[in-house]
Amino acid sequence: MEFSFSSSASKIIHSTGFFSLAVGDIVMLGVACVLIYLAIWKKFEPLLLLPIGFGCLLANIPMSLMASTDTGGLLNFFYQGVKHEILPPLIFMGVGALTDFGPLLANPATLLLGAAAQIGVYITLIGAVVLGFNMQEASAIGIIGGADGPTSIFIASKLAPHLLAPIAVAAYSYMSLVPLIQPPIMKLLTTEEERKIKMEQLKPISQTVKIIFPVIVTIVCCLLLPGVTPLLGMLMLGNLFRESGVTARLHETTETHLINIVTILLALAVGSSMTAESFLRVETLKIIVLGLLAFSFATAGGLMFGKLMCKMSGGKVNPLIGSAGVSAVPMAARVSQKVGADTDPTNFLLMHAMGPNVAGVIGSAVAAGVFISLFGDVGGAIDTHAALAPIIGNPEPGMQALATVVEAVKQ
Amino acid sequence: MEASISAALNVSILAMGVIFVVLVILIFTIKLLVKLIPYEAPPAPPARSVSASSPSSGQDDQVAAITATLAAHMGKRPDEFRIVNIQSH
Repeated sequence: MEFSFSSSASKIIHSTGFFSLAVGDIVMLGVACVLIYLAIWKKFEPLLLLPIGFGCLLANIPMSLMASTDTGGLLNFFYQGVKHEILPPLIFMGVGALTDFGPLLANPATLLLGAAAQIGVYITLIGAVVLGFNMQEASAIGIIGGADGPTSIFIASKLAPHLLAPIAVAAYSYMSLVPLIQPPIMKLLTTEEERKIKMEQLKPISQTVKIIFPVIVTIVCCLLLPGVTPLLGMLMLGNLFRESGVTARLHETTETHLINIVTILLALAVGSSMTAESFLRVETLKIIVLGLLAFSFATAGGLMFGKLMCKMSGGKVNPLIGSAGVSAVPMAARVSQKVGADTDPTNFLLMHAMGPNVAGVIGSAVAAGVFISLFGDVGGAIDTHAALAPIIGNPEPGMQALATVVEAVKQ
Repeated sequence: MEASISAALNVSILAMGVIFVVLVILIFTIKLLVKLIPYEAPPAPPARSVSASSPSSGQDDQVAAITATLAAHMGKRPDEFRIVNIQSH
């Protein structure tokens, strides 16, 4: 093969990314830079938006093989964790390890606020159907109202994988905007007298109850809605690590290193799915609008049920804690505390708001379970072994080897 | 489209119903658990015993009693704090 100076120079120029750069790639590089800017300088969910933005940046560099669809590329491997629903449940395990269900156990009625806030999910579902999405897509978009990133990604990858990127970006962007979105709605829907209500101190809860709770939730909820077991089961396992008191090392790892590592993988994988073909569509704009609708209605739903509980309890419940039912732990609870303290600086609602806040996590997981039961392929799990066989090989010899080792240890 | 909207409405009503039923079951389960396994305060650390060799007086007894009560209330060991003054009002 002969190389002249001009042909070599031409070949080098043609091999650069600049030569293959399309308009869509340039726009997406701009979107990536905006996400990175929002994460670093505006502090919008930086732990997620920064790696999502950078993943988007990498995915839109032509010929880099960093898009989620580039088979054999680095981020394609990370994306398998989203596609096969591995990473969101692992994040949930970390969330469980970080969550104290004490305030919820002390005032279990606040679970209803977590349920009421899910109204945002269903109003958005109807809105999405009106805008022309099918039921699976509308369900995946609606779950943005659950204000739970991993749940949104889990449902989107299951029901509408082609909409994963805009749904994930909308979910995390609006979660970071909770302190801006919620307060005007909270002030609009409550009176000053209601915001001033001081709630009774929460009762202490036995450690045994805290240990039994995750086991009971797993049995009850996962038997009722088996599709949600990966999410709820991991959430409760993480919490059991925390409360059991006998797995300090696992608890420490889960709430720090594991959740951090998985967050990096998950966010990069989501970012890598933000290519021009998947993101620069009219549907993305619709999803952004519907996401805002979902958050607003979820906040309003929680508040209205809070008002109902206030009336029924004879003024013992401050309706502001209802808005924390949207999940977004712990930011939504902090917003309840702040709006309450703005009206009366001696009013401390944080612990009371943590009850509906963690109830929102369970509520949105249950809402996801209902969608999976209705539109997902619950029985498909049976075929997972066969589907994964080409990737992980036949696990039978491994299981036999493990059984041999167990027998040897027994002897 | 109308059929889809009515289907979405049906799904929404059904799903909200399921969520409330599941969470109400959890509420009753939690209430039952809390009733069956009530909270028990951790045992208070033993109060510092007054030395038998020291001369016993009314003041010492008062200090010991207040120390024990404060230790139980604050959840601290008696040697972690010191009573410097007792005033009667």
